[in-house]
Amino acid sequence: MSVQYTNEPMLDMLIFETTQLIEQLEQSILNSEKSSCYTEDAINEIFRIMHTIKGSSAMMMFNNISTLAHSMEDLFYFLREEKPSNVDCSTLSDLLLEGVDFIKLEVEKLKNGDNADGDAAALIDRINKFLSVLRQGNNSTVSTKEIKVGQIDTKKQQYYISQSKVEASTYNNAYKAIIYFEDGCGMENIRAYSVIHNLKDFTDQIFYLPDDIIDNDECIEAIRNGGFKVYLKTDCSYEEMHKIFMQTIFLKNLELIQLENDDELKQFLEEKEFTDQEYFNKAPCQHAIYKEAKEYTDKELHSPPTQQSMISVSVSKLDKLMDLVGEMVIAEAMVIQNPDLKDLELDNFQKAARQLNKITDEMQDMVMSIRMVPLSATFHKMHRVVRDMCKKLGKEVELKIFGEETEVDKNIIEHISDPLMHLVRNAIDHGIEPHEDRLAKGKSQAGIITLEAKNAGSEVQVIVKDDGKGLSKEGILKKAKENGVLYKSQEDMTDREIFNLIFLPGFSTKDSITEFSGRGVGMDVVTKNIETIGGSVSVDSVPEKGTIIMLKIPLTLAIIDGMNIRVGKSRYTIPTISIKESFRPNEGDIITDPDGNEMIMVRGQCYPILRLHEIYRVKTGITNFVDGIIIMVEQDGKSTCIFADELLGQQQVVVKSLPEYIKNYKKIGGLAGCTLLGDGSISLILDVGGLINI
Amino acid sequence: MKKVLIVDDAAFMRLTIRSILEKNGFEIVGEAENGEKGVQKYKELKPDLVTMDITMPEMTGIEALKHIKEYDPNAKVVMFSAMGQELMVREAIINGAKSFIVKPFTEDHVMQVLNKILII
Repeated sequence: MSVQYTNEPMLDMLIFETTQLIEQLEQSILNSEKSSCYTEDAINEIFRIMHTIKGSSAMMMFNNISTLAHSMEDLFYFLREEKPSNVDCSTLSDLLLEGVDFIKLEVEKLKNGDNADGDAAALIDRINKFLSVLRQGNNSTVSTKEIKVGQIDTKKQQYYISQSKVEASTYNNAYKAIIYFEDGCGMENIRAYSVIHNLKDFTDQIFYLPDDIIDNDECIEAIRNGGFKVYLKTDCSYEEMHKIFMQTIFLKNLELIQLENDDELKQFLEEKEFTDQEYFNKAPCQHAIYKEAKEYTDKELHSPPTQQSMISVSVSKLDKLMDLVGEMVIAEAMVIQNPDLKDLELDNFQKAARQLNKITDEMQDMVMSIRMVPLSATFHKMHRVVRDMCKKLGKEVELKIFGEETEVDKNIIEHISDPLMHLVRNAIDHGIEPHEDRLAKGKSQAGIITLEAKNAGSEVQVIVKDDGKGLSKEGILKKAKENGVLYKSQEDMTDREIFNLIFLPGFSTKDSITEFSGRGVGMDVVTKNIETIGGSVSVDSVPEKGTIIMLKIPLTLAIIDGMNIRVGKSRYTIPTISIKESFRPNEGDIITDPDGNEMIMVRGQCYPILRLHEIYRVKTGITNFVDGIIIMVEQDGKSTCIFADELLGQQQVVVKSLPEYIKNYKKIGGLAGCTLLGDGSISLILDVGGLINI
Repeated sequence: MKKVLIVDDAAFMRLTIRSILEKNGFEIVGEAENGEKGVQKYKELKPDLVTMDITMPEMTGIEALKHIKEYDPNAKVVMFSAMGQELMVREAIINGAKSFIVKPFTEDHVMQVLNKILII
């Protein structure tokens, strides 16, 4: 671990940023692999990412990460500069992904507070080999290193005259300076170059040793050991020159000697030259620009900056904010619907209350929108899963993604990533058949897995679909019987019920658990994960056509728009989004079938009626349909009518889950949770989907 | 207090540089994550000093340096570069960067460079 910067926030930042970069990198690799070539943009991007990771991890002294990143950066530098045509993309992708995995693992170690002690030497070795193969294959432009070596052999030490050959005697004073840089300042050759660059303001007769400071890396050693020698002629006095040299950054030691005569200098004059005319021409005009710029800036100062900027906020703060807003919504209801205010004529109060209501609404929307994150990142992670699975299992699968822009609450995203991965793995492992089987069945060689997300009312549906062999009813039933999870006789079960058996704990259809799917845990983990966030899982399958697994997840966990209704002394809340209409029925519209099921005819359509007081066994004086009210609700295209005593009014409610002791006692159908009303009473939130299926 | 603008695409680097500088009594007036924003912020904030990464998306540090120098020839820009970017650093020096710091850097190095540049 780093000794220098042990500060936590930096490590956090490193982990956070590296994770993001790695994800971006992975995406870029997979896209490139799919199009079977690395575009210039992709190469640039990967290069940049590697560069950043290298820099950051080197800073924190995570040398294993930084050396690996460095080798990948080198590779991509070569790809970028030389654009070789003989790149083996698939090997390249493999190498990169392996690198990605390595870094991921190391970052994970850091996250858990462990040392990043992995060893990537073997991988680096392979990357370097890959690069050298590329270099060899790309003979037309031999690697830069080789050129350099060749040059040094032939060139030997040459003196370099940097300026045009003006008469050597125009300046009065000659100096010799030897500059030593501090140890470890890095790039001594460029530092030397900047010294020369600065001196050009004072003279045009400069000579220096070593002379090839830019092109030759080896001169770094020379400068480190023997110092950087500068000979120059100028009109400046010794003091002036000394001052100029002392400005050199990372100066460890300076030897400045005024030379008696030009002898030492003259030896330089015989050789090469290059002009720096341009530089001198530039100098005066820069001043002019500066003046203009000054005027311009004065004007600009008065206009305030309009740029939009971003900050990152910790999720825990957002959670807290969300909680507070929830409390505020309740508090608001408590004030506005306060029983003390009942039957009072309060015009001004009502006005103010409306204003308060409007603002809390907006505030809540804003907090929600802050927390919303598109599913795209989660979806795109699956590309990698698909790729790895296919390589291992020798299957060919195409992943199609729809609706990735669908947004859900940040908390929810975290919970669906694992289940989704599990489902995709399952689909590839168990669903999609091997090539030969597919071709024999007349299907396309590559299996298709579709990931789709869409908004449906107050929930988001995530669909994982494959076009594989489908679920085998017999297999499921047999397995269910073996594992004792069959809860009713198989003759009574619908296809759907049979398929849904796979979500029960202790169920796994494949005898041998493969490396990917399975892992000893079944689909019940998926169900558990989804249920913790208030969602549900269902499956449908057609033999030889494929399987569809649908995850329904709530948009957000916290606040919904609800209609409060009363049955007897109990209150219920129906999510407004699922209400179609409410009306007082006419006696004549009510139909009762021979089994005693009550139905109502609305505009020529028949809908079942649910008496809430019967379902939840509530005592009420209103049992006659015409005395109460009917609320028609709809979910997933299915409608039903709920019979209640009366409507109380619409309000935002904060969803709280039912207390554990109730849940533990018995799972009550049709309830999504509970909430606190303005007058302090508790209202049960109805789960419309659940009610319809009751 | 000297005002500094930090331009680097890596948030980690910005944080590291910021913490070093703040510890040593500099005021960080702004951060930018690419060259283009860096130039914009320079014009907006008029910092005494800019730390500039070289490899960045949208606009590289070199381009940004050129723009800043064009806007204010007296701008003090220090390049932050990784090993292996010698040619780019040279280009930066030619284009008026005051100096450069090689990553990974130490607090001591950074302070030496910045203090010296502010004296000049």
